[in-house]
Amino acid sequence: MRDGEIQAAGIWKRFRADRQRMLLRDQLDRVKRRLRGRSNAHGYRWALRDVDLAVGPGESIGLIGPNGSGKTTMLRLLAKVMYPYAGRVAVGGRVGALIDVRAGIHPDLTGAENVYLYGSLLGVSRREVARRFDEIVAFGELETAIDRQVKFSSSGMHVRLGFAIAAFTEPDVLLVDEVLAVGDAAFQQKCLDRMRAVLAQGTTVVFVSHDLQAVESICERAVWLREGVVESDGPVRQVLGDYRRTVEQAAEILTPALGVVRVVKTEIRGPGGDTPVSQRPLEVKLLLESPEPLWAAMSIGVSEGPATPIFLLGHEALLPAGQTELRCEIPFLPLPRGRFYLWFGIIESTRDLVPWHPVGQFEVLGPELTPTPRGILRMAPVQVTPTWEVEQR
Amino acid sequence: MTQASTRATEPPPDTLFRLKVRLVPAVREVWQRRELVRTLAERDLRVRYKQAFLGIAWSILTPLALMVVFTVFFQRVAKVDTGGAPYALFTYLGLLPWTFFSTSVSQGGQSLVTNNQLVNKVYCPREVFPLASMAVAAVDTLLATLVLGLLFAITGFAPKPTTVWVPVLLVVQVAFTFGVTLVMSAVLVFLRDLRHVLPIILQLGLFATPVAYGMDVVSPQLQVLYSALNPLAAVIDGYRRTVLLGLPPDWQLLGPGAVTSALLLAFGYVVFKRLEPGFADYA
Repeated sequence: MRDGEIQAAGIWKRFRADRQRMLLRDQLDRVKRRLRGRSNAHGYRWALRDVDLAVGPGESIGLIGPNGSGKTTMLRLLAKVMYPYAGRVAVGGRVGALIDVRAGIHPDLTGAENVYLYGSLLGVSRREVARRFDEIVAFGELETAIDRQVKFSSSGMHVRLGFAIAAFTEPDVLLVDEVLAVGDAAFQQKCLDRMRAVLAQGTTVVFVSHDLQAVESICERAVWLREGVVESDGPVRQVLGDYRRTVEQAAEILTPALGVVRVVKTEIRGPGGDTPVSQRPLEVKLLLESPEPLWAAMSIGVSEGPATPIFLLGHEALLPAGQTELRCEIPFLPLPRGRFYLWFGIIESTRDLVPWHPVGQFEVLGPELTPTPRGILRMAPVQVTPTWEVEQR
Repeated sequence: MTQASTRATEPPPDTLFRLKVRLVPAVREVWQRRELVRTLAERDLRVRYKQAFLGIAWSILTPLALMVVFTVFFQRVAKVDTGGAPYALFTYLGLLPWTFFSTSVSQGGQSLVTNNQLVNKVYCPREVFPLASMAVAAVDTLLATLVLGLLFAITGFAPKPTTVWVPVLLVVQVAFTFGVTLVMSAVLVFLRDLRHVLPIILQLGLFATPVAYGMDVVSPQLQVLYSALNPLAAVIDGYRRTVLLGLPPDWQLLGPGAVTSALLLAFGYVVFKRLEPGFADYA
């Protein structure tokens, strides 16, 4: 087995569904439930079912999937923190795992003491930490936290501390779990840069995140886990595209029937009533039904990813009782080719007349967007047509 | 791609995972991570001293207080045959190994549970957690041993040259303590009630061990059996014979004690390794 290689085959992992803790009060609680005639539903819940993952040295893999799909469990198995119920896991070379970097940090110790503690947890010798101490402090921007007990620092500081040390370990395989969630934008970009630098040195990276943009900017390949099963495994753009679509479809299914005003019908048309085209006019027609005359502040949004709109349009108008047609014309559609979702809501400070939810989806024809160079967090896709001039001065 | 619906609901039985334990690589790995043991012990000590007003004094106060209590009560009430040595020294020599043992077992026994954040999230050989607790107990004992020097000065009693035997006794003592600590730490992850039972057992253990009294309370025929069941008895007796009385250790007692300790250490390690795959799931 080569350094940096991961071979996991036929992995099964289960947890007790009802964690039978052995504390006396839990036991008493169970007895009580028994006495009331309610049975205890124990048994097991499978966290991973027959998962295969083969990664070559220097590859970068993103593990994606909704909460509870087994991503973190998989990472823990690779890190040897946990053992599988069935199957084989083999990882070649030194493994560096960043699974909740706050775990190793003790609140009562100072930043400096924690740097040494976390360093030796990750297997970096004290001498090595001492040698690179200034670098670590500079990378994590930890100057203010060094002499202070960590409990008096912000939670962002904890993550920076953890990542700063971890960034200086030189593993063959780096496992990273959602560590970038905390930390400000600049630090996130710094962490991504660092991970890409590590990748460039030939380290294998397995990255778990809900931040699909971060996954896309780091990983070449993505594995999508769904309820403990590999749903899809392939090039990152393809897998993320599939994943985004199901998340959005799920959002649509979850559309609430609440709200005072009802959206009866949605129509989205391009020029001449056809499919919308990039950089051409777009017309949106919504048929609304209100039980009473209402002054409504309406919002229309277009999204590619769930809930976060690419652009938002607002309009206030009086809705009479009964059905009303709302027409909105966009003279110049700034979207590239792709599939988009139309969101609508009438939101007031005290109540939502219509909760913010997707009311339709549409295809846009047109040119493809300029590909994002890897390493830049991808922005929401907006089609802009500039004119370029390159002139020597 | 296989559809989830057509998937098996259970893994094939022949693929079930078994942790392969090979002794030499496992021990070597712990040795390679000895710095981590030190760092974890240092963490516990630092945290303790940051929080407690008396700080470092607590290491000394526990055995010292017991020594005073025993000296006041036992010496008056029950005449203990110390072989001519001052009773304070006699009992303090018993208290040192006992305190090391009981601190190791109570702290080390809980080490996997109290460090569950790390057990769950960071890979390292799991043995480092009980070992770090033992290291902390060792530092406490070392500090408490300084008081022993003071006691010698006060009582005007000097340690005998046979004190050179102490390292041998120390090996037996540490082996026994490590064995018990390993078993406790592993079992406690799954049987949390032990956490509440442990202090009671340790309290009883103090009186089942010749700390306040001497080996001679047990009839000579039973002393070998006693040492085999409780190696600490043989160890403590050995300390008193070598340091206070100028005699070599009683090999007839220390032998069985050493055998028990070795067996217990082996047993403890097997138990620990057997239960290890479940630590992260339950801790």
